[in-house]
Amino acid sequence: MTKEEVNGATEDEQQAQSKKALKKQQKEAEKAAKKAEKQAKLAAEQQSADEDDFAKDRYGLSAMVQSQQKLDRVLVRVQDLTPEKVDQLIWLRARVHTSRAKGKQCFLVLRQQQFNVQALVAVGDRASKQMVKFAANITKESIVDVEAMVRKVEQKIESCSQQDVELHIERIFVISQAEPRLPLQLEDAVRPDGEGEEEGRATVNQDTRLDNRVIDLRTTTSQAIFRLQSGVCQLFRDTLTNKGFVEIQTPKIISAASEGGANVFTVSYFKSSAYLAQSPQLYKQMCICADFDKVFCVGPVFRAEDSNTHRHLTEFVGLDIEMAFNYHYHEVIESITDTMVQIFKGLRDNFQTEIQTVNKQFPSEPFKFLEPTLRLEYTEALAMLREAGVEMGDEDDLSTPNEKLLGRLVKEKYDTDFYVLDKYPLAVRPFYTMPDPTNPKYSNSYDMFMRGEEILSGAQRIHDAQLLTERAQHHQIDLEKIKSYIDSFRYGAPPHGGGGIGLERVCMLYLGLHNVRQTSMFPRDPKRLTP
Amino acid sequence: MALRELASLEKYLGLKKPNKYSTQGDKKVPVLQNNNAPPLVGLVTIACHLAKEAKRPELLGDGAEGRAVVQQWLEYRVTKLDGHAKEDTRSILKDLNLYLQDKVYLAGNQFTLADVLMYYGIHAIVLDLAVQEKEQYVNVARWFDHIQHHPGVRHHLPPVVVLRNRLYTSRHH
Repeated sequence: MTKEEVNGATEDEQQAQSKKALKKQQKEAEKAAKKAEKQAKLAAEQQSADEDDFAKDRYGLSAMVQSQQKLDRVLVRVQDLTPEKVDQLIWLRARVHTSRAKGKQCFLVLRQQQFNVQALVAVGDRASKQMVKFAANITKESIVDVEAMVRKVEQKIESCSQQDVELHIERIFVISQAEPRLPLQLEDAVRPDGEGEEEGRATVNQDTRLDNRVIDLRTTTSQAIFRLQSGVCQLFRDTLTNKGFVEIQTPKIISAASEGGANVFTVSYFKSSAYLAQSPQLYKQMCICADFDKVFCVGPVFRAEDSNTHRHLTEFVGLDIEMAFNYHYHEVIESITDTMVQIFKGLRDNFQTEIQTVNKQFPSEPFKFLEPTLRLEYTEALAMLREAGVEMGDEDDLSTPNEKLLGRLVKEKYDTDFYVLDKYPLAVRPFYTMPDPTNPKYSNSYDMFMRGEEILSGAQRIHDAQLLTERAQHHQIDLEKIKSYIDSFRYGAPPHGGGGIGLERVCMLYLGLHNVRQTSMFPRDPKRLTP
Repeated sequence: MALRELASLEKYLGLKKPNKYSTQGDKKVPVLQNNNAPPLVGLVTIACHLAKEAKRPELLGDGAEGRAVVQQWLEYRVTKLDGHAKEDTRSILKDLNLYLQDKVYLAGNQFTLADVLMYYGIHAIVLDLAVQEKEQYVNVARWFDHIQHHPGVRHHLPPVVVLRNRLYTSRHH
C-alpha cells in the first residue's frame, strides 16, 4: 500500500466516522427528548394518581419515633404467626428481608431475628397501585410497621420459618429506612461453603463479616450461635448455683502476671504500670482461703499472645471454677465434668432449633459425651499416640496436631467428643500446680477436651505457702510481686482445685465450627480491634 | 540410597554372596561390575538381573502383559517417583491410590519386583504422612502396610504405623 492510499483510507474513515457520530448524536437527542416526554407524562400521571390515591393514608414514611405518643397497639411476634392467628388483623414490626414486585402484587419477606414470614401487598380495595409501588421500593433491611390480615396458605412456604400462613398487608409504614446499598447480603452470608458455586453465587469471607458485624449478626446462623452461647452461660450459672457455688467478681486490672509474664497486656496505671488479668486465678484462690468454699466467675480474660490461629483471641470470656475439696482432687474433676455434662444436656434438650440452624450452614456431627465422663491419664494417652506412630517424649507437652489426633483416637475407641486428660507432666504446668505424690515428674493437673481441642485447663493448687514459694522460685518468679498471693495461704488454707473454660471455644467446639471468631460477638485478636 | 536398596533386595532374594557396587555420575546411578560380562548400569536393570540370578523370574511378571505392567511400574519408580518435586507428592499419592483401589499388588494379584522397588521408593513419603493423610490415601496405606510385612522385604527401612481403624469417618470436621 502506498502512503497516499493510506491517507485516503483514513480520510474516508474519518468521514464515515463523523457521519456515524452525527447520526448517533441525532439519535441520542431523539432519545433524550422521548425520555423527557415520558418523564413529564409519568410525573403528570403520578400527580393525578397521587391526587386520586384512595390509600394514601395506608402507607408512607413514618415520622421518627421520638416517643411522642403511647399507642395502644399490640405488636405480634413473627414466631407467633401460626395457623391459630388465621383471619386476625394484626400489627407487626419487622425488617424487610427481601421484596419482589410482580405486576399488581408485591411479595415481601418480613424478618424478625431468626424468624420470617411472607407478606403480600396486592392492588385491591385495601391497597392502591401506588401503595404496591411504595412497598416494592422499600430498601432491604428497613424496619417497617405493618397491619395485615393473617391468611392460611395452601402450599407450605418452604423459604420461611412461618410456613403455614402469610400476611395480606393493609397498611405499611417505614419506621427506619436502610441505605439502599448493604455492605454484604444476608443470603450470601448464610450460604454454606461450596453451595451455589455453579451459579456463581458469592459467599462472604470472614473479614468482611467481621468488618460489618452488625449486619452479619442479623443472619439466622449468628442469631442461633449467640442465643446458644447465652444458653451456655446460663446453664453454667444454674448448674453451679445448684451445687452450692457462689458467683464472685474479680478485678481485671492486676499488679502482677498470674501465669508467666510473657503474654500479659501492660496498661499504664497512673504513675506506674499494671496488667490485664490473664485469669482470675489468684483471686478465686484467695476467695477459697477466705472460706467461700466453692466459687465461680464469668468475665473477660486477656491474653497478649501474638498468635493468629483459628482458636486464639486476645480477649475472651472465661468461665472459672475453684472449689475446696476433702481428700482427693478428683472430687473437683467430677464436679467440673458434671457441670459440663449438664451444659451439654441442656443445649441438646433446649437448643435443638439453634443447633439445627447452625448446622444448615456449617454441617457437623452431633456432639457426643459419656456419663460419667471419660478420664484418661497422660501416660495412657501417650501410649495411644505412640501406637498410632507418634514419637513423643514422656514429659513433652501435647502439640496441637497431636491433641487433635488423640481426640480422634479417643472418639474411635470410646465414642465420645468430651474427655479429661489427667496427670500432666509437672514441667509443662504453672508454678502453683500440685505435684503428684507418687511420681514428682507428674502433677495433679488435667485438661478437658472437646472434639480434640482443649477447652479447660485445671489442677489441684498448692495450698501450702512453703511449697508454693519453692515452686515459684523454681519457675524463677519474683517472690516480691506475688507476696500477697503466697501470704494468703499462711493462715490456714483448705486443699482446693479448679479450672477455667473459654466460653467462645466451648460454643465453637460444641457446634463443630472452625473458627473461634464465629462464636465471639466482637472478636479481639492481634490484628483486630474494631468494631 | 539405591545401594542399600539393592543390598536389601539381595537379602530378600536369598542371594548368598553380596555383590559389590559402585556409583556413576552426579545422580549416583548404581553400577554392578560383572566378572565375565560388561557392567550393568541402573537400579532397574540391576534389580531385574538379580531376580533372574536368584531364579525368581516370576518376580518380573507372568505372561507378556504381566511383564509389561511390572516394567511400567519399575520405570515409574525411577522416572516419576525418584527426584519428584515436593508439590507433586500429593498427585503421585492420589494417582497411586486410585490405581490400587482394586488391586492387592501393583501387577494385580501377584507380588512382583515392582512392589518391592515402589515400596523402597515411596517409603520416605509414607513415613512423613500424618495419620489423617494415611487415611486419605487409604489404598496406598493398605498396599504399603502389606508390602512392609511381606517376609524379608523391609530390611533397612523402619516400619511405618498404619492404623486399621478409620478415625476420620465423616466429611465434616
